[in-house]
Amino acid sequence: MKRLRLIIAHEYMMIVGKKSFIIMTLLIPFLIVIAGAVPVLIAYVNEQADSNVEQIAVLDKSNGLAGALVPTDKYKFIPINAAGAPETAARDFYKKTGDGITAVVVIPEDVEKTANVTIYSEQTIDVSTKEYINRCLGDTIAACRLASHNIDNLEQIIDEVKVNVTVNSIKWDEEGNEQATSTELSMILGMILAMIIYTFVLMYGAMIMNSVVEEKTNRIVEVVVSSCRPVELMFGKIIGVGLVGITQFAIWVVILGVGGTILSMIGLSSIAAAQPAAMEAAATAPSSVDGSGLQTMLMAFGGVNYGSLLVNFVLYFIGGYLLYGSLFAAFGSAVDQASDASQFTTPIILFMMIALYAGIACATNPNGPMAVWCSMIPFTSPVVMMVRLPYDVPLWQQALSVVLLFATALAVTWFAARIYRTGILLYGKKRSFKDLFKWVLNK
Amino acid sequence: MKQYSGHRALDGVSMNVPEGCIYGLLGPNGAGKTSLIRILNMITRADAGEVLLNGEPLREAHVEQIGYLPEERGLYKKMKVGDQIVYLARLKGMERDAAVKAMHEWLERFDLTEWRSRKVEELSKGMQQKVQFIATVLHRPRLLIFDEPFSGFDPVNAEQLKGEILRLRDEGATILFSTHNMGSVEDVCERITLINKSRVALEGSVKEVKRNHKKNKLSVTFDHDVTLEAAPQVFDIDVATPGSAVIHLAKGVEMRDAITFLNERYQLTGVTELLPSMHEIFIETVTQPQQEATA
Repeated sequence: MKRLRLIIAHEYMMIVGKKSFIIMTLLIPFLIVIAGAVPVLIAYVNEQADSNVEQIAVLDKSNGLAGALVPTDKYKFIPINAAGAPETAARDFYKKTGDGITAVVVIPEDVEKTANVTIYSEQTIDVSTKEYINRCLGDTIAACRLASHNIDNLEQIIDEVKVNVTVNSIKWDEEGNEQATSTELSMILGMILAMIIYTFVLMYGAMIMNSVVEEKTNRIVEVVVSSCRPVELMFGKIIGVGLVGITQFAIWVVILGVGGTILSMIGLSSIAAAQPAAMEAAATAPSSVDGSGLQTMLMAFGGVNYGSLLVNFVLYFIGGYLLYGSLFAAFGSAVDQASDASQFTTPIILFMMIALYAGIACATNPNGPMAVWCSMIPFTSPVVMMVRLPYDVPLWQQALSVVLLFATALAVTWFAARIYRTGILLYGKKRSFKDLFKWVLNK
Repeated sequence: MKQYSGHRALDGVSMNVPEGCIYGLLGPNGAGKTSLIRILNMITRADAGEVLLNGEPLREAHVEQIGYLPEERGLYKKMKVGDQIVYLARLKGMERDAAVKAMHEWLERFDLTEWRSRKVEELSKGMQQKVQFIATVLHRPRLLIFDEPFSGFDPVNAEQLKGEILRLRDEGATILFSTHNMGSVEDVCERITLINKSRVALEGSVKEVKRNHKKNKLSVTFDHDVTLEAAPQVFDIDVATPGSAVIHLAKGVEMRDAITFLNERYQLTGVTELLPSMHEIFIETVTQPQQEATA
């Protein structure tokens, strides 16, 4: 035990003491903030740059629908005064006026029936222009069609018909007490937890592998295993790197928490003053969460069983990390340099990708057969179960899944230790899965 | 001290290393030396056979009494010299304080004190070798296993290392030495085992082995610049120059008789029996696989 502690401390310090680790740990939160800010900035810049006005001629053969095309900052509509003129007039007009006009819209007489207009231009028309014309004419034509039915109080009726149903979900506990829940919240919470496990396993799994390969290329491993059992070294690595990961996550949470608080206290007001357009763009995004929705959300925060969620998260986190981490260690031991490891790591990454996509799919159907199966299979359960958990999974399923995960993780660790023990001492030849299997059987 | 037999890379190998001895483990590449050494270090296990240390079957706690310098040297390149030595010593069961104290002493001895806080990758290869040597011996092992200890050392450092090895022996350590360098074997080893093709080909003290391989060769010198004349019934001449010669005795002729024979005819100033060098014995043994093992 003393030796294992020593190895864990050593492995931990080997990574945490590196400059690159410190820099990355401090840098990543800023990268996340930048990644979040870029879309807002791009939207802002896009809005600014696109200030030139497009002039579009309108040849209107219907009875005055051209009026539906309302000019904006971006579009100006110039009517062609040629009622009853043939469609070729559009071409003549375009030629005559030359540069100023981008396109000509021809509204045919029977437009109310066919809902077909044509736009002529020498350059391909961009999508936003088409959409704008579509929206303007569509609304007007729809209004005309409705009007043709001659219904009294039409507008009032339409206003009454427009409904946005708010579904309040209330959960009963065993005593029948009511508690508000939120599907959105459950989904978000589950996805965040699943993503944490996914990222953690892949990131720190790769770190374990690099550490194994490094010891092997340095040839230090032979000295170390003359002092301890290979399995101790392997576990020391897995645990040490795991602790590195927890440290890193903790630092990120603190940085993002503190940074977020500071930003919201001072930053936002000044940004809002300086860049109203950007703020507007940013503000439209979460507009779907209206007042009552937000209220349910807040109420629902209390409706999640955090205790059980946390316990499960820790269990799946440990199980998943152990399972994949020991595989990474075993595969690292079989190669001479990290770049050779891809033939072994590809299946691992594939499994993790399957788990992630299954998890995303399960978010919309958390109790469907796929969700249930994938939350039982140990290679996918750590990610998928995280998505399901906020939706209250039956206890027997939770228990079975955890037992399966840990049983598999222990078995895989045992296999991995046997591969590792042999692999770290062999150099030169490129190994296949068949070789690894032989190593497992070695005495 | 150790008995061992059986393995695919090692077949019926059995050897006995007396305590406090410097013992040479010889053999061509691929003979199974490293396999044997790894078994002694409990890095791998033998499929059959056993290893006894001080009469006890080898068990895990014994690693603390063994120091191992592998042929392929390796250190954590990014780690500081001092930390590295202390870490490796603590893995061998040493307490931190004792390890730190011993580390300072050894660095002093090898003139590496000012490098203590530098990373290993900043050191020259020779210095790295010294650091590795220190890491091997710091925990005062009773049994030291050196695989090619002199490779990578310049003659000055090799001499220093040899002095340290002899000192460790004098302090009571048993030293098992694996090498291709026959010169160093003659210099320091008391006993040897030569492994060839997974089997023991030669075993015994260096003197014994040499005597068993002697070819009855004599080097003789004379007072005047006379040239030795042939006497086929007593000896054949290998080399004859004015004033000296190398001869080997004919079958059935004792050395005593040959000397008497020469003494009657020439003014002898010196006679030396030429024993084969370990180098010659090694090559002879390894290139003649059909030869019976000499004990």
